[in-house]
Formats: sequence, structure tokens, C-alpha cells
Amino acid sequence: MEPPAPNPGHGAGRPMATRPAPCTVRSPVALQVGDVKTDLARPGVAVIDVALPPAQPLDLQEIVFKNSYTAFLTVRVQRRHPCDVGRASARKWVTCLWNHCLMPSPHTEAGSQDYFSLFRHQLLCDVDQVTAVRLILRQPSPVWLHFTLEELRLYPRGQQSLQTDFPSWLSHLAPQQQPENLHGGVPDPEKVSTEVQQLWVLTEMIRANQTAARIGRFDVDGCYDINLLSYT
Amino acid sequence: MAACEKRRSAPAPATGSGLVEPVRAGVGGREPESEAEFLLQAGVTSMVREALLKVLEARPEEPVSFLASYFEKLVLSGPQGGAAADRHRQQQRLVRALWYVRLAHHSHRTAFHNNVSMAYECLSARGRRKKPGVNGRIYSELLRKICQDGEAPEEVVSSLLTKIQCRDHEAVPFDVFRYGVLSCVVLLEFVAKADTLYDILDDGSGMADKRVCHAVLGTLEDALGASDFSVPIRYLEAGSKLGPDCLALAMDKALLERKICSSMNREEFLKKATALFIAKVKPID
Repeated sequence: MEPPAPNPGHGAGRPMATRPAPCTVRSPVALQVGDVKTDLARPGVAVIDVALPPAQPLDLQEIVFKNSYTAFLTVRVQRRHPCDVGRASARKWVTCLWNHCLMPSPHTEAGSQDYFSLFRHQLLCDVDQVTAVRLILRQPSPVWLHFTLEELRLYPRGQQSLQTDFPSWLSHLAPQQQPENLHGGVPDPEKVSTEVQQLWVLTEMIRANQTAARIGRFDVDGCYDINLLSYT
Repeated sequence: MAACEKRRSAPAPATGSGLVEPVRAGVGGREPESEAEFLLQAGVTSMVREALLKVLEARPEEPVSFLASYFEKLVLSGPQGGAAADRHRQQQRLVRALWYVRLAHHSHRTAFHNNVSMAYECLSARGRRKKPGVNGRIYSELLRKICQDGEAPEEVVSSLLTKIQCRDHEAVPFDVFRYGVLSCVVLLEFVAKADTLYDILDDGSGMADKRVCHAVLGTLEDALGASDFSVPIRYLEAGSKLGPDCLALAMDKALLERKICSSMNREEFLKKATALFIAKVKPID
């Protein structure tokens, strides 16, 4: 099922064969001010951390999710620079989407359960070699007590699976060539083609309707059994 | 209605009638049965229903004469005694089976299949002394009669019949019967279409160029090819090979060849075209 994108589609679509990158999505953590245990106020901000496998930084193509009553979304990514190899710390977090509006009116239902798809060209910065993604959800309305994102999937870039069972003649289709100067004696190709195709259909029909039933004209009923023959 | 049912002695069974004998249950002297009941018991309801179904399947241009001949054949199919009438009855059965086969075009698959089963049943019902079933002789006769109606040349018909005929003494199962009948009917259509094709190829002059004919038939043979037929991609392939562009190219190329310009007459063209068809007919063994 293809989730609809929030913007009208650009040419860059996701190829059908792409699979989401493996990642671990943690449940949203609400931001708390003050003591976690005693303070019961709902702040309206939650954070979802997505951890990618450490050795496989990802070139992000698309982020897909289903909204569940989140009004605004900010996305920050942690990237790995080539010069960072060997250094364990000091990776910077970069904001690639800031306060993106998912629900036009936070108090109402519009957009509250829609599917969203964020392409790399919509993001503010380059999202290659990403090692972690953090989604900051905001819901200022007191109407919705719980808000989150569901079915979060990250799609990497550039996965094109070749179809292996493509018949060769289909990929080598000759361009339509109408011979410019047909001889005068050549009959109308359209009419010829119609008739010949009908002939083909009739022959195919008779071939497809072959019966498996047999009369058994030359079947013998076992009296040519090899054991009996050897006695004569 | 159940309250009105009373016992009454059944009348003596009628002879020579194909209709179901009416067995009436009612009180002696009074006949409270309604008209619907009478029709049902006389078997008229099912007969009329069958007739209507046949009309719907066949969609004839003259429904009234169609129905008239239908009922006439129904009457004629009643049992008639006498050994001398056996041959006559067999001819009648043959004619009736032929009529069934011709009711629907073979492209209406269900209707055609039903009609072929009715023809098979009609031919299977033999006289009182013989065992029921279709034997090779009557099957071959039927095939020959079907082919006679079309304008297929004799050679073509005989080459098809050698493939699908059965020996006189063999018992023909229904599948073989259906296949044989279908092959004949489709052959007739094939010959008609090949005829039209020749008319196009000769441009009204009466004689078509041999090179062009060879080119067209060669393309058809190529498209019929030898690849496995269960893959739908074959249809795409055949469609692209038999498109107007490819055919135009093939014909143009053929005309460029420097051969002595000779022509192919209609019979030869038909023979070559039907050879392609008959090659795909599976022989019966």
C-alpha cells in the first residue's frame, strides 16, 4: 500500500522493490520538566529515537510513517562524516526538518491519522551516511492526551532490483519503423495484420483446446508382457 | 393446495408420445387442479423453458422459424418402431446433431459446449438392439458433414480428417468428440479468413505475388512458433511480430528480392495457410 505524500509528487518516486532499512524504533518519550515521578503535567512534546545498525550508515531516501495525533514534527539526524572514522564521540546532530505541520489545526482531527512520506529533497540538509534519527513530536492541544507516530519506516537510497525474468526480446524492441517508400505492390499492412492476427488466434485456440482424452487405439491390454513373450 | 390433493386412478399410459404421462391426483369426478399444475404435469413447462433457453443461446435472426424447426425436431425424436426405420432414424439423428452443432458459434464457449453435449447425447441414443454410444463411423460422418457446408477445399478437409477421424469400430468418448467437432468448425472459419487475406493480398487483381504470400505466411509461422503456450508473454510476442509495422517490413523486403515475379493462386495459398493450422491439431490416437 503506497502511503500518499503530503506534497504533490515529484518525479523521484520510490522504486517498488525497495525495502525499508532495518532500524530500531524506540517508543516515544515525553519530555518532562522537573521530577519525573511527581510531576504529572503533560508537556506535549515527545521524542522518538531511531537507532540504525552501527556499522551501516544509511543514505536516506524517504521517511514514511502514519501519524497518530501529532501536530508538528521536527527531525534531527546524526551523520557520520568520513573524517569521523575512528572518533567515538562528537558527532553532531543536524536538523533536517523543522516544525513540519502534520495537523493544520491541532485541536481538530484533520491530518491526525494520515500517512506521511518525507523525501530527501524536502529536507533541509543532506541526509547521507546517517547513523541515528530523532523525531521530535509536538502536540500543543490539550484535547489529545496521547500522540505518537506509527509504522515508521526509513527507506535507503538507490536500491533498484533488476527483474530477472525479463524476456530479452522485450528489451530489444525495435523502434517503430514505417518504411517510407513502400513499393506500390505492397498491400495495406493494417488489413493484412488484422487478418493474420485472427488466423493466429484461431490456431492458438485449437492448440489450447487440445484434449487429453485418448481412444487408446494402439494400447494393448498386457498380453505383450515380457514374461509371457519369453515363453514362445 | 395440500388440502385439495385427493387420490384418483391414473389413466392408461399414452403411446408414441414424447411427452411425460400425466399422473393426476384428484378426487373422482372433480378436477380442481389449476392451470399451472396442469402445465407442470404435462411437461410443458420444462419443454418451453428449454426452448427459450435455446433461443437465447442461439439468438437466431428468425426466432419464429427457429422455434418451429426446434419443435419439429422434438416431435421427430420420439420412438418409432421397426427395423427398417433404423437407418432412417440414424440419418435423422445425424441431421439433428448437425443442427445442434451449428446453433452457436464456437466463440460462445458455454453455448457451444452445451450444444456439442446435446449432439453427443443425440447420437449416443441408438436403437433398441444396439448399445448406446457414439461409434467412429457416425462420428466421422458427422465431421464430414460439418466440413461439407463450408467452402473448404477437399484436400484440406481430408488432411484434417485423417488427423482426427476414428475407426469405424472405435467408441468415441465425449472429449474426443468435442475436440473433433471444434477442429472442423474452427477450420471452416480459418479457411474463410485465409480467403479474405488472399483477397487483400491480391489487391483485387485475382493473383497475389508469391513473394508477398511467402513473407506473410512465414511471419505467421514464426509467430506460431514452438515456445511453451502457457506463458501469456507469448501473446505479447505474437502481437508484436504480427503488427502492421513488422508485416509491412517483411512484405517490403520480400518485394525487393530479385526473383522472377511469379504469382500464387488461391488454392495454393489456402493449402499453405491451412497446413500451418493443421500442424497444430493434435492427432487422435
